[in-house]
Amino acid sequence: MNTDHSTTPSPALSVNASPELLDLSLRGIIDLRTTPEIMNRLEQLPQPLPGLIRADLSGVTRMDDCGALVILQLRRMAEKNGCDLKMLGTPGHVRELLDFLRLDDPPQSVGSKRAKPDFMTRFGIKTLDVTNQAVTHVSFVGEVTVTLLSLLRHPDRLRLGDTVLYMQRVGVDALPIVGLISFLLGLIMAFMSAVQLQQFGANIYVASLVALAMVRELGPIMTAILVAGRSGSAFAAEIGTMKVSEEVDALITMGFKPAMFLVAPKIIASVLVVPLLAMYSNLFAIAGGLLIGVTTLDLTVNAYMAQTMSTLSIFDINWGLFKSAIFAVLIATVGCFKGYQVRGGAASVGQATTSAVVTGIFLVILVDSILAVILRYWRP
Amino acid sequence: MTQKAVISVRGLTMGFGELVLMENLDFDIHPGEIFVILGGSGSGKSTLLKHMVGLYKPMAGKITIAGMTLEPDNEDSFKKILARIGVMYQGGALFSSMTLGENVALPITEFSRLKESAVDELVRLKLRQVGLEGFEHHLPEELSGGMKKRAAIARALALNPEILFLDEPSAGLDPISSAELDALILRLNRTLGTTFVVVTHELSSIFTIAKRVVMLDKETKSIIADGDPHELKNASTHPFVRQFFNRQPEMEK
Repeated sequence: MNTDHSTTPSPALSVNASPELLDLSLRGIIDLRTTPEIMNRLEQLPQPLPGLIRADLSGVTRMDDCGALVILQLRRMAEKNGCDLKMLGTPGHVRELLDFLRLDDPPQSVGSKRAKPDFMTRFGIKTLDVTNQAVTHVSFVGEVTVTLLSLLRHPDRLRLGDTVLYMQRVGVDALPIVGLISFLLGLIMAFMSAVQLQQFGANIYVASLVALAMVRELGPIMTAILVAGRSGSAFAAEIGTMKVSEEVDALITMGFKPAMFLVAPKIIASVLVVPLLAMYSNLFAIAGGLLIGVTTLDLTVNAYMAQTMSTLSIFDINWGLFKSAIFAVLIATVGCFKGYQVRGGAASVGQATTSAVVTGIFLVILVDSILAVILRYWRP
Repeated sequence: MTQKAVISVRGLTMGFGELVLMENLDFDIHPGEIFVILGGSGSGKSTLLKHMVGLYKPMAGKITIAGMTLEPDNEDSFKKILARIGVMYQGGALFSSMTLGENVALPITEFSRLKESAVDELVRLKLRQVGLEGFEHHLPEELSGGMKKRAAIARALALNPEILFLDEPSAGLDPISSAELDALILRLNRTLGTTFVVVTHELSSIFTIAKRVVMLDKETKSIIADGDPHELKNASTHPFVRQFFNRQPEMEK
């Protein structure tokens, strides 16, 4: 095929123009490869066109539906300029094609192109959407609560195998990353605070700072963020894909309750393992702080650990665990809820996954702030 | 037939891991043929199709398409082969984030130099051929299963490939749409000379369109019948083949 199309005249179309007659002749193969150029050349014909267009199709050896665009283009040109169009020597196969494509039929009306609605319409749609979401969210939370409460009375209904599997996926599989990140976090915290505290000779308080900050706040939060990224997203993607492939429908018609079958194991597994993960995170962060304390602050291991122990009260540890359990419920519920909201196909699953992580982390931080305020006034 | 084969399969052994589905398959598909792959459930019809379009790698053997050896790792030759084939998947495999029109327009805009207005018009003609004109702006999720199938065929047709692979095109279609689809296949075959490789179970469809069928057999892991379905129906020496075409249940022994 010649690549220089702009200069060489198309072998498929020849044009012979005189003041009263435009003589066109099409030859050879009129298909996807040759049509774009023919269309371009037709568009570039000098206007106005003469009163009669004569198109000779006798030389066409093969035409496909893309080639039929040329015929449509000719008709449009004739109509626009008010001239007659005569087609000569249409071969049988071309006629058959044109019949099959029903070129004479007007285009069927297409549902209006999804035009962008104006501001007020979008505002209204969004408002309805948000209220709808709120309602479905509340009913979802209600359904899950009822399911979990019913488990208190009939604990045997819980799918134990699934629960253990999710405990492994959410907890055990997350150990390396949680350990590493917490260790580095403790290390950085100790390192940064040491620069300041050293000026006052308060090296030993590096231990207090790392321990208290991790156990009370950062341990649970860091763990929650990691779990939201690892498992909240996975829950949404899993349930979302099950919805797309009608697996959730299959569960319902088989008489299972999706909330019991899919959601309860995930929430219960998360509540059981996320507090443990948070403890594990605290441990590694303190180890990170200890490394800095011993290597750069001239503290002994004993002194560092003693300071850590005296800083922490059992209440701090319990409070951290309690928060972690709350975060776990939030992340797992949001993940499952977003999965439930998937409609359609792959793109929707992606959105649900993103939304599960973003909403999960947002809720974690929000609830953490609320709990901090509550603790400020209710601290025993 | 003296014509050179457009697809030739030589000594193809396929399977997954330890499981061997078919052993040592040999057959040729000639230009302009409507070639139907038959077989009981689980005999590896769709797998064979996926081998022929380069999605799966054979355990042994060689597939040649239009004179080129099918090597998915060789980017140049694979691209050339892909430009000549179109594939319709069992479930439609329409992109759910795009409208029907965008789905069909995607290969056209990517691989041709047509202007946007011409692409829109061509998409309309494609959809008209499969009876879906007017659904350009619908999303795949808004369509019924049969409509998705037809839309998938429109997309496979987008570039008018020389060879079209259809995986169960008429399964799930109502008899009328199914007959229309057969007519579409026959017309494309007649006017454009498109070669078809079809996996299907629909007996009526097989008898209407197929010029040649091969039947895969799970037990012997080989082809047990090859030829014109009308002849095989009565003349085949293999009882399973006659049973298949005459729609009889498994004989009691």
